[in-house]
Amino acid sequence: MLVKELLAHGFEALSLPDGEREIVGVYIGDLLSWVMGRAQMDNAWITIMTNVNTIAVASLADTSCVILAEGVEMEDDLVETARTKEVNILRSSLPIYETAVQLSKLLP
Amino acid sequence: MKELSLNILDVAENSVKAGASLTQILLTERGNVLVLEIVDDGCGMSEDVVRSVVDPFYTTRTTRKVGMGIPLLKLACEQTGGSLQISSVTQEADPVNHGTHVRATFYTDHIDFTPLGDVSSSVLTLIQGHPDTDFLFRHQKDGGVVELDTRELREVLEDVPLNSYDVMQWIGGNLQEQYEELS
Repeated sequence: MLVKELLAHGFEALSLPDGEREIVGVYIGDLLSWVMGRAQMDNAWITIMTNVNTIAVASLADTSCVILAEGVEMEDDLVETARTKEVNILRSSLPIYETAVQLSKLLP
Repeated sequence: MKELSLNILDVAENSVKAGASLTQILLTERGNVLVLEIVDDGCGMSEDVVRSVVDPFYTTRTTRKVGMGIPLLKLACEQTGGSLQISSVTQEADPVNHGTHVRATFYTDHIDFTPLGDVSSSVLTLIQGHPDTDFLFRHQKDGGVVELDTRELREVLEDVPLNSYDVMQWIGGNLQEQYEELS
């Protein structure tokens, strides 16, 4: 499944520089140093952390996208940073577990 | 990071990389405030570099010089309501008194406070990895102080390397004893 295809399922795009990326698996976590060492390349990463370091970790771990759950806000300048660093950021209004369940149904 | 002690290790490694002959790791706990300072006499950083080490992208591109240590430390203290300051003097600016001072303030009663973890292990790891540079570790608590100064050890040990097995064992035991006396 491609990142951009999530938009048809209630996910909102905050930053979508590379919507053609394939999602392979999902990782969930909010402790950034932990995620940095464990998220796999091309994972969709579900988190509620909206710090500049979130974008850096997504870039380092080379995840296909960050999915902000619970409808958390991300400041405009951070969204801009994500665009310039080519990090896809989507948002879901659902809590983390429900977001994961939804992805589980969508992903092959 | 899961424990601040890992963060301390990461930042202190930057000091060693900056050519420090002495790296000080100072923890001061007073009531609900914890101040962590890492002070070195290394080559120092220009104002531009100081700004960029706080920016995680400075490190995630091709030049991964300092790791995510500082950005994650900044996050760890800010999420408790605290803050991070870095001041630095380059060797060019002052050939005698140069180096970097990182100071992070934490509010330990905040629910998002990251536990300090095993600081003694971090100190041991630093000494083991860099037996030829000096470290001063001081942990000031309300009930007293835990302190280790490798310069003092060096004076007593003379030519015995600090990272030899027996010395490491002694340092580990000594730190443990000091902590036990406090509690």
